[in-house]
Amino acid sequence: MNRKHSKTKAAGAGKPPLLWLVPLAVVLLLIFIYPLLDVIRLSFTNTKIGSLDYNYTIASYKSILTDRNFYYMLRTTVIFVFFSVVFQTLLGLAIAVSVDKGEKLGLRGTVCVRTISLISMVIPGVVIGIIWKMMFDESNSGLLNYMIQKLGFGPVPFLTSPNVALVSATVANVWRGTAQSMILLYCGIKTVSADILEAAMVDGASAWKRLIHITLPSMRNVLAVNIILNLIGTFNTFDMVMSLTGGGPGRSTEVLALSVYNQIFGQLNMGKGSAVAVILIVLNMIMAFIYFRIQQRGEVQ
Amino acid sequence: MIKKKSRTGTKIGLYLVYIVISIFFLYPVLWVLSYSFKTVPELFSVPPKFLPQSLQLDNYRYVIQNTYIVKNIWNSFYIVVLTMLGTLVLALPASYLFSRFRFRLSRQLQFFILIFQMISPIVIAIPLYNYLSRINLVNNHAVLILIYIAISIPMAVLNIKSYLDTIPKEIDEAAIIDGCSHWQILTKIHIPTSISGIISVSLMIMVSLWGQFVVPFILLNDAVKFPVSVGLINLQSSSEAITTHYLAAACILGILPTTLIFLILQKYIVSAMTAGAVKG
Repeated sequence: MNRKHSKTKAAGAGKPPLLWLVPLAVVLLLIFIYPLLDVIRLSFTNTKIGSLDYNYTIASYKSILTDRNFYYMLRTTVIFVFFSVVFQTLLGLAIAVSVDKGEKLGLRGTVCVRTISLISMVIPGVVIGIIWKMMFDESNSGLLNYMIQKLGFGPVPFLTSPNVALVSATVANVWRGTAQSMILLYCGIKTVSADILEAAMVDGASAWKRLIHITLPSMRNVLAVNIILNLIGTFNTFDMVMSLTGGGPGRSTEVLALSVYNQIFGQLNMGKGSAVAVILIVLNMIMAFIYFRIQQRGEVQ
Repeated sequence: MIKKKSRTGTKIGLYLVYIVISIFFLYPVLWVLSYSFKTVPELFSVPPKFLPQSLQLDNYRYVIQNTYIVKNIWNSFYIVVLTMLGTLVLALPASYLFSRFRFRLSRQLQFFILIFQMISPIVIAIPLYNYLSRINLVNNHAVLILIYIAISIPMAVLNIKSYLDTIPKEIDEAAIIDGCSHWQILTKIHIPTSISGIISVSLMIMVSLWGQFVVPFILLNDAVKFPVSVGLINLQSSSEAITTHYLAAACILGILPTTLIFLILQKYIVSAMTAGAVKG
């Protein structure tokens, strides 16, 4: 970390006390940087967990790329992430717009709706999985299936049919992540210029047109930030799926992060698990980079 | 006249939307709450009953007496509080530096820190398990707290920085002329001025740590030491259809602290959530 002591130019007052960064750097080095580098190193070995014997090899990557299960897992992850993010954003936007509209019309209860829509934010992922497992109870005393049967449809195998289970997991994840979209987009809407909206209204633009042509374009940055954060949140999902389906039935809901865990602790294949983890790291870094760029663009403006 | 009519229509439409939103978000939680009061026959009643027959507390009594849930909640509580204190000690000076100085590599360092915020904790939990199991430090809360601190640092540094950014530089300059050191500026001016922002960020971090799962799941294997999330999944894996009401009661206990804090201090948490991500 000798770069911390390199020559510095202070725009503020006097010399920056760079030594203040040392404790933080030590913690990050120990807990983040070293383990991260180690995961990358381990992905090029054939080691097992807890073991010290290994050889360097690229067998893990080779075996991933020829493994049909890997592509199946990728497909599962992509479906899960894509639909989660789309619906989190749309639903979050719908709630944000309707709450904002209600506030402008002076409706009662907007604070209440806003609070309710944020409740999932404070519930641990594990609990969200448990809650939705109870909702998706397939027995006759299960709530959702009871209502669906009342409507004249057959019982839905929410968590026992591979394809339906993936939809169920996505629904639960939308329930979990919408709150974050909602609050970001709600704040984004508040920054849209009221003058322009009013001018458009005078010109006779409909509410829909104002949303599409004025509100949404001026919220570009917030929308982008929101999508990135949803992507990261969903790619990193582990806890909720763990308690909802455990990755099953079969491997139908085994998403990326869960796959890392299963490779290492289920199949005791540290090398292969680390290789999958490296893929997750790369995805995380790409998204961090995009996020950083968006924020910088926001600051320049 | 027409305008007024369409307004009423809009209002009714909005209320319908509000009702749908509320049902979607509240119903699952209320369903579990209702489970937590049910008796075994009620669990299996067809059609399912939304309301329990009575608000009997037997299920709660059972999980408090026969599971580690209270211990788990206590573990989470003290781990989260200690983590937060440690995080602030490390993050505040860094936030001050990033906010007040333009030094070389400052931007790159901030980007570096941001990356850590985005990286899934499972990635670091694996090698850490590898080392810790070799030196017999699994099942250790102190180590867990250190890892939690590392996980919280990015969010703390970057968010607190954005609060410190709003303090005018002129104040610092005046303080320096009066002979204040940077440490004094930070502790006597910046922290008191932005205390509500710092509290907001801390609350947000504590709420997210409350739900932290993957790190303790991998690094702990003693049920007495589990925090809430791991305790609950442990309970779930040992529970069956016939004990769902106990699991429900344990879940309600597990989410009660953060839910109450959220309902009471909503304003702070929401402001922290948005301050970091939305600028101008």
